[in-house]
Amino acid sequence: MSTAVGRTKHAEAILGSELHTRLSFTKVLVVGAGGIGCELLKTLVLTGFTQITLLDLDTIDLSNLNRQFLFRTKDVKKPKSITAARAASSFNPNVKISPIFGNIKDEEYDIDWFKGFGVVLNALDNLDARRHVNRMCMAAEVPLVESGTAGYLGQVQPLVKDATECFDCIPKPTPKSFPVCTIRSTPSQPIHCIVWSKSYLMGQLFGRDEDAGETSELDEAENNGENVEEIANLRKEAQSFSRVRAAIRSYTPNSTSTADQDNDPAKLAFQKIFSSDIQNLLNMGDMWKHREPPVPLDYNQIISGTFILDRQGSNKAKEESNRVNGASSLNGTGNKKTAEKVVMKDQRKLTLKENLVLFNTSVQSLSMRLSTSQVQTIEFDKDDEDTLDFVTAASNLRSAAYGIEGKSKWEVKEMAGNIIPAIATTNAIIAGLIVLQALNLLRASPSTRPSSSEPVNATTAAPSSSSTVASPASADYSLLRNVHIQLKPSVPLSSVTCSSPNPNCGVCRDVYTLVRCDRTQTTLRDVVQGVLGWTSGQSQNREGAIENGQSQNGNRNENENGSNDDDDDGSERKEISVYEDKRILVDPDWDDNLDRTLDSLNVGRGKFISIVDEEGDWETVQVVIGELPASHPSTASPYILPSPLPKLVKRKKIKPLVPSVPSTPPPRLSLKRSLPTDADDGDVMIIDGHNGNGRTRDGDGEGQRALKKPRLGAYDNQRDAKTTTPTMDLTSPGKRKRLEEDGLVLMDGPGEVDEFEEDVIVIDDD
Amino acid sequence: MDPAEFTEEEQGRYDRQIRLWGIEAQQRMRNATILVVKLKGTATETIKNIVLAGIGKLILVDADDVEEVDLGAGFFFCDDDVGKKRVDAAKARIENLNPLVTVEIVPNFDVLDNQNFESTVNGVDLVCITDWDRDDLIRLNNICRRLRKPFYAGGTYGLLGYIFCDLLDHKYISPDRSSPKDAQKNVQVTASYSPLQDALRHRWSALSKRQTKELKPASVFAILSLWQFQSARNRLPLGTQDIEELQQTADALVSGADVNRQVLTTVPRSLIESVAMTAPHEFSPVCAIVGGLLAQDILKTLAAREPPIANFLTFDGNTGGASVCRLSMP
Repeated sequence: MSTAVGRTKHAEAILGSELHTRLSFTKVLVVGAGGIGCELLKTLVLTGFTQITLLDLDTIDLSNLNRQFLFRTKDVKKPKSITAARAASSFNPNVKISPIFGNIKDEEYDIDWFKGFGVVLNALDNLDARRHVNRMCMAAEVPLVESGTAGYLGQVQPLVKDATECFDCIPKPTPKSFPVCTIRSTPSQPIHCIVWSKSYLMGQLFGRDEDAGETSELDEAENNGENVEEIANLRKEAQSFSRVRAAIRSYTPNSTSTADQDNDPAKLAFQKIFSSDIQNLLNMGDMWKHREPPVPLDYNQIISGTFILDRQGSNKAKEESNRVNGASSLNGTGNKKTAEKVVMKDQRKLTLKENLVLFNTSVQSLSMRLSTSQVQTIEFDKDDEDTLDFVTAASNLRSAAYGIEGKSKWEVKEMAGNIIPAIATTNAIIAGLIVLQALNLLRASPSTRPSSSEPVNATTAAPSSSSTVASPASADYSLLRNVHIQLKPSVPLSSVTCSSPNPNCGVCRDVYTLVRCDRTQTTLRDVVQGVLGWTSGQSQNREGAIENGQSQNGNRNENENGSNDDDDDGSERKEISVYEDKRILVDPDWDDNLDRTLDSLNVGRGKFISIVDEEGDWETVQVVIGELPASHPSTASPYILPSPLPKLVKRKKIKPLVPSVPSTPPPRLSLKRSLPTDADDGDVMIIDGHNGNGRTRDGDGEGQRALKKPRLGAYDNQRDAKTTTPTMDLTSPGKRKRLEEDGLVLMDGPGEVDEFEEDVIVIDDD
Repeated sequence: MDPAEFTEEEQGRYDRQIRLWGIEAQQRMRNATILVVKLKGTATETIKNIVLAGIGKLILVDADDVEEVDLGAGFFFCDDDVGKKRVDAAKARIENLNPLVTVEIVPNFDVLDNQNFESTVNGVDLVCITDWDRDDLIRLNNICRRLRKPFYAGGTYGLLGYIFCDLLDHKYISPDRSSPKDAQKNVQVTASYSPLQDALRHRWSALSKRQTKELKPASVFAILSLWQFQSARNRLPLGTQDIEELQQTADALVSGADVNRQVLTTVPRSLIESVAMTAPHEFSPVCAIVGGLLAQDILKTLAAREPPIANFLTFDGNTGGASVCRLSMP
């Protein structure tokens, strides 16, 4: 324990003793111990919070050390949460930081667990986890401060159910994806080749046996009307990987016999991918009527330096062919002094031959790992040099064949790894702003509001006149602000009052309720009809669950308008559908699942069962499935319904607001599904917009459906969701998009940083 | 330095920021020596950030001992350090942040005497004075100006914070954000800064109502009145007894600067009260924000990329907003 009583003197003077005392009783959850998380932990500890739970699933990497200041070189590969907790504890021996090395989406971190915190602070780097925490906080009614940074920019947003908008009130752009055929046979940009080699070729050569997703992906493409002949060709191409795969898995280095050399997996792979497959594609004459055909590459000629890329009329091709003849196109190591341009090793563009050599060495290294070790599969990891080398070489070779500009390893790493530049300063600023908003949330909380007689409290209160925030109960959320770091020189930090919830939001407008149950003995019918109060033998089912004896019908009749129209009376059974995440469990014409147990339906702890009114009169009811308390008698009902039953809330029939993010047509998911994801786990049901079972709402446009179901299929696997998003270079519009995908709404243009250009224009600013 | 000298470790450590500002900017930072004066909360945050970013050398000046209250925002100190010299206690922890940065400490303020200061400043690339008083800032700024060294001052008063900089005639490269988004070119810009003594004589007459409002003049004049108060009384306000004097000082400054009367004639009482009660206190979140902004701006200046602050930033922890006024700058 620290005996330095003076340590809190400043904070007490600023917060007032009442609020300052409350800090030590407030349980705080920090999700993420990365760039924002490290800074946040430090600031929380110094501010006077003493009960902090810190969760992160990641381990420390060398590239974290430029900003995650709680970590040292010796900590590389250790868990972030544990290391950060230990380091930050030294800033104040009186605090208790409980680190968790785990995934926030694991089932043990359920609603009950979230309810144990006074405030949740997000310090995350991916959209998927952000959405998850947002939803959990809305369901558990725990205030959340959301944050994000990218380069020089960042934002902080306090979110309180029913008082402010939630993270999903504003639709987030869906990840950029490419049609299958663009990736597989007609690439036209470097990113197409990078996605191809990272997500398709890696899997074909080093992944699971003949990738499971492969067939379905092509089926899907076919169903969506992509070129049938082309798809048949792609099917054939995929099947013939077996010989290469066998060579990879039986690879032994240093073999000298000719037979072994013929079995060199790198050469075999090269011949198949860059020669015969391309040759096959060329046979599809139709495809090349309106576009330039690719050129098959010749292994031996490239090695011997005699290969000439012959692409008529293409300037790019000429560049490429120049490169082939040994002359390297590098900056920095050339003969003339290139204006002292600084270039790092990996920033150099490779020649065709160098790419081929890199292809060979990386395929051989990866083959070694498969043939000698216990590893069955190797996936792309930007920090795994062999896989990065492989993707760099393979995408550049493919680019060469298609007359597309090549990329350096440095660039490929950023594009394939979805790297967002990150610096300490932005994270420090954002962390400070998060804590200020967390303090505003505590000030607002009605139960223990600081008395206004204290002068300091009165004076630290922000002007509240212009608030647009609805104030449920007696809480005063007028102090809350959304703050953005922006590029505008006169206002680097813009602070605006929070908006009210989007009436069409598919997350925070839903009604949340909890059913504790034994999932092996509780049926879907028990849950759905129980929650809706539709149970036929009410008295039996509700025994022991309802304590206040409130009449069901009375309960049902309550809604915010006090309306009691027969139509709207929930006591009348309505047409409903039931979902678990994106799976349809029940719809009005199909209720076979109702009598199955939750367990048999694979509805686990912490899962949400969504009950949707098909007529759209009521807000969706989200039933959270919890565990029975340990004390629950084994003879009692296997489930406990909420008491009182949730109030059905009549949906406000409001035309969709003009979205503040430019409204784009909803993604035709099945068509534009992002190519191969590391994420597909097979059991995700893909719902397209036309099956009649989408949770469409009255008056909701297509865009609204996108909001309701913002991510399907391709975006499903927690933190790796990022990797399905192909990236552009720093200056491209794709950059902005990518930032927005990560939940950052850019106010003032992205922090684009061009490399120094020769042709700068000089303007005197006077 | 030769680019070839960028080691694997440097490339790995700085990867995420080189992707933001480029290798040449990184190079300039690596070659820079920065003088930071006084180690309170603002400096602690600033130093953490510039050391992590990879400046070449830090020279840190502070003569005082660690007090218990310093543990509130000073994460370079722990309980056992109370009573030691601040710079002695902090040195190893700063070095620990980034072994590639050289840290030199100066455990006395003699270096700020005119003669000494000149020779010290001659050996550095940029000067940053934190949590200091106005009159001395003017003096030190003038010396830096004479020696043509960029000058930063920053600090916090409770929930308020400020950054002032005099970057002389600063050249930098920046995308021309006035042109359409997809056709932005890099342009080289030269900005001419004012010394603090001129900046303080700034008149707001030229600004429209909207422009004035955007700059949050109340926060600006709260800081300026604190400086004025400190200069007159040789101390910061200590509580309720100083509210009235501070209010009068602030309002006199407002009218003297010809601020648009539709926006501001008097600094709101609530703000003056807050400032009078909390000015001598430092608060970790505010230090993190001001120290973050200050460090980022120092790095921008070193890199000669992106427009730095021009020239007076105020931060208000009540709202989380920050604005920048051009005081006596074109």
